[in-house]
Amino acid sequence: MSNLIDRRSTTDMAPYTTGLANAVLREISELLDRLVTTGEAGSIDLHSLPMTDGDREQLKEKLGTGEVSVKLDVAGSSTLDETGIAGVWWVRHEGGDGRLAAEIIEITHVPAILLSHRDDMIAGLNRLDELLDAPADMDTEDMTG
Amino acid sequence: MSGKLTLGEHMSQRGVSRRAFMKYCSYLASTMALSPAMAPAMAQGLAAARRQAVIWLSFQECTGCTESLTRSYSPTLEDLIFDFISLDYHHTLQAVSGFAAEEAREASMEENKGKYIVIVDGSVPTRDGGVYSMIAGRTNLDILAETIENAFAVVAVGTCAAFGGLPYAKPNPTGAVPISDLVGSKPLINIPGCPPVPEAMTGTLAHILAFGELPALDDKHRPLAFFGESIHDRCYRRPFYERGLFAKSFDDEGARKGYCLYEVGCKGPIAYNTCATTKWNGGVSFPIQSGHGCFACGSPNFWDQGGFYKSLPSKTTSIGKMAAAAAVTGAALGAGAAFVASNSKKQAAKET
Repeated sequence: MSNLIDRRSTTDMAPYTTGLANAVLREISELLDRLVTTGEAGSIDLHSLPMTDGDREQLKEKLGTGEVSVKLDVAGSSTLDETGIAGVWWVRHEGGDGRLAAEIIEITHVPAILLSHRDDMIAGLNRLDELLDAPADMDTEDMTG
Repeated sequence: MSGKLTLGEHMSQRGVSRRAFMKYCSYLASTMALSPAMAPAMAQGLAAARRQAVIWLSFQECTGCTESLTRSYSPTLEDLIFDFISLDYHHTLQAVSGFAAEEAREASMEENKGKYIVIVDGSVPTRDGGVYSMIAGRTNLDILAETIENAFAVVAVGTCAAFGGLPYAKPNPTGAVPISDLVGSKPLINIPGCPPVPEAMTGTLAHILAFGELPALDDKHRPLAFFGESIHDRCYRRPFYERGLFAKSFDDEGARKGYCLYEVGCKGPIAYNTCATTKWNGGVSFPIQSGHGCFACGSPNFWDQGGFYKSLPSKTTSIGKMAAAAAVTGAALGAGAAFVASNSKKQAAKET
């Protein structure tokens, strides 16, 4: 039993850094420069990088915390936090069980997922029409009657 | 594709917004190592597609592949794939049986001629006319030939279907063959694994839906997105390998310290699969993280490789020295990993 405990504690590698946070920072800098000069947005998929927990913490620490934090409830939870660098967003998508499904640094004015899609707005418009076409409810009749 | 409504319309009726498509495609792009910038276009393609008719044939198999697909998922996000396909025939999952089941298969083939996808798990016995596996009084050989004739593509899931697997292992008493031996020129995707990683199955289907074409494949018909890199390339124990630190036996000091399992038989260097990054059971772990070497269960002839606990033939000490030399010449770990990653997809094509 003690061996099992020992193995767990030693196999879970302690947070260490590999220098990858600085490499990602450099890429973020280039993408932000491109956004500022050309308006073109960019993104970095953190899931695809062999980052250690230490690298991730280091990157978070260096980017800092910004003014905007958004939580979405779409097929599980998502959080979109603007970092201390304006235009640099840390986006986390979780599945229904809270498991991390995607983790992306977006370099953009506003992450695209926050914008309402035209088709959803058309569906909303149809719902509004149905509401307006429906007979007035009792309370309204009482007030007008 | 079946159904009159697009997936966007279908899901909208169920109160699912386009944001869900965006999120799903962000997840998919990440899983398939595509640029996150592709997610909006993928979401657009997926919303405009129609439900994909799928016929699932089970031959010489253990149903582990189906278990993997259906049991390893959290609700909501990853489950969206089941709203995107119409599973018209599947022995384990369909409600009907007998003649009604076979009629459902025939109806889907007729209605979706040239557009449906055939998923096959299990190998096909060919000895003695194929009599060792029969369904509804017909051989697997016969049913496969009939079903794929007008299919858009064939997807062989699991190592049995992709490479023959356990039924194909020596002495192969039933004359089992992989699906690739029987599909002729029909487009084929192999998603091996015993069982395959569920995300590799669903991601491949979603890719076909979103882009209307098959994903990029290696020379063994495996999607590069999931099989382009070796377990070894992406293993979190790789730094120990580079430093020449190995477990010599299970539960020795090296094993307790989480050293590389190469010398106790890990086949990670020859195993091309996505376990080390996608992991299993909701991203909890994978065999190496649990202290056991990789079997290379997604590789051809994995059962006949000479023993799960027998080390690969290369001299590990020389590899350790080579790694040390690389470090001396300034190859930082991050750069080294990036180099390995960039080259591994090319190497996949040369895998034997």
